[in-house]
Amino acid sequence: MVELTFEGVEVHAAEGQTVLSALEDAGIPLDCACRAGICQSCLVQSLDAPPPPAAQAGLPRAMAMDGYFMACVCVPEGPLTIGRAGKARQRLDVTVRAVERLSPTVVRLLLDDGGRFQCHPGQFLTLIHPASGVTRSYSIAGNADGALELHLRILPEGRMSRLVADDLSPDDVMTIAGPSGSCFYDPADRDQRIVLAGTGTGLAPLWGILQDALRHGHRGPISLYHGALDRSGLYLVEALESLEAERPGFRYVPCLRDAEDPAGGDLWAVVSELETDLRATTFFLCGDELLIRRMKRGLFMAGARLDQIHADPFTPAQARAAS
Amino acid sequence: MDAAVDIFYRKVLGDARISSFFDDIDMERQAAKQKAFLTMVMGGPAHYTGRDMRTSHARLVKSGLNDSHVDAVIELLAATLKELGVADSDIAEVGALANSVRNDVLSR
Ligand SMILES: Cc1cc2nc3c(=O)[nH]c(=O)nc-3n(C[C@H](O)[C@H](O)[C@H](O)COP(=O)(O)OP(=O)(O)OC[C@H]3O[C@@H](n4cnc5c(N)ncnc54)[C@H](O)[C@@H]3O)c2cc1C
Ligand code: HEM
Repeated sequence: MVELTFEGVEVHAAEGQTVLSALEDAGIPLDCACRAGICQSCLVQSLDAPPPPAAQAGLPRAMAMDGYFMACVCVPEGPLTIGRAGKARQRLDVTVRAVERLSPTVVRLLLDDGGRFQCHPGQFLTLIHPASGVTRSYSIAGNADGALELHLRILPEGRMSRLVADDLSPDDVMTIAGPSGSCFYDPADRDQRIVLAGTGTGLAPLWGILQDALRHGHRGPISLYHGALDRSGLYLVEALESLEAERPGFRYVPCLRDAEDPAGGDLWAVVSELETDLRATTFFLCGDELLIRRMKRGLFMAGARLDQIHADPFTPAQARAAS
Repeated sequence: MDAAVDIFYRKVLGDARISSFFDDIDMERQAAKQKAFLTMVMGGPAHYTGRDMRTSHARLVKSGLNDSHVDAVIELLAATLKELGVADSDIAEVGALANSVRNDVLSR
């Protein structure tokens, strides 16, 4: 007999019984289809012990590392605390350390979490303004020195944009939840060729992944493509240019929609022209929703491996709520 | 198997006869379904019943799924296996297995 806890309910699994079948016996049916660990319909997440590896076969590594597993092929070896996929989130209050301008339209928000929020740079979190309840997703550009770094593009009419740009000051309290997403560096990819491509504040997760890769002593080549309408949309330019000068194998390629500019060129067109060895490259794509979806599909069709394309389209909040 | 999934899925998305059925679906989720499909038709452990096949495809039948689409899928399946060096006789067997659920897939 093995003790399971599912969303707070205690469930007993008989010797050799799968988690799916134990939950069904307890009157908790999960969505499921193939019952053979393939279709991933019955995906759940262990909140404490790592699940048996056989129950994670075929999952993207980010999900396996986060304890996701298929209930239909999981015969637990010991007690497990289990939640539905995506529900196992941390939630905590953090204080604002600083709100700084990175460019005329981009703000860097540093949130003091004292290092408590478990996450990888490049993943995203949910930011909640407690007084108003406004809730938005933001990517993690860094998590060093006990603070989380976010980059926000300030939209003139944006609700969270205005709150952060106009109202927020040091020591104010915000709530964060998460993290989610598979856009982060895996130290096992040390010798791999990495392509980071994004538009606007899509640079935030890419910057986080880049720093993380360097911290882990990444050895393979890294290219960072940053798309923007014009020069004013670029930021962290000096830091990226000096990194390019210092580190052989790192290339920084700004791609501006302004065709007059020497760096003019559509992000996707530039990436597909310069990147030729698609099968042997790991891609991270973040930013404008339509462009990122188009690039992901385009890269896959041109030969990139689906499990090597990590993409976070920045879907605006309303659109997401409606869908 | 993962190589087969990538090749097959790329063919499916690139085939104008059927690609529209696969738009608007999250690519990772869809790749997992493709894997389920391949495992099933290659006689691997996927415990689908005819009823499961009806439910999975009911939505598609409503938007016009017909015999020509099933033919296209079986054709791409064969091309995928050929690319992977599978023998013609085995390909024929896999095709026959896929064909055997045609009526369920088309809700007939
Ligand atoms: C996974 C994920 C990660 C994200 N990471 C980041 C990040 O790191 N940095 C960041 O700045 N944003 C990020 N976003 C977008 C962010 O969640 C908000 O959508 C954005 O900050 C706008 O919120 P707001 O409250 O200021 O504007 P809202 O009040 O939501 O919108 C105001 C108006 O602007 C429009 N609008 C929204 N987004 C855009 C846009 N991109 N371009 C033009 N018009 C728009 C809306 O339709 C609306 O009309 C991410 C989104 C997702 C889903
Ligand atoms: C030839 C016989 C076929 C077999 C054996 C088959 C098998 C499968 C299997 C096993 C699944 C996964 C079900 C699940 O786990 O939920 C699936 C899903 C799906 N199939 Fe097929 N399939 C066939 C034909 C087709 C055809 C012809 C099309 C369209 C051109 C198609 C489109 C889809 C789509 C879009 C899904 C995902 C449905 C969803 O998630 O909503 N299939 N199929």
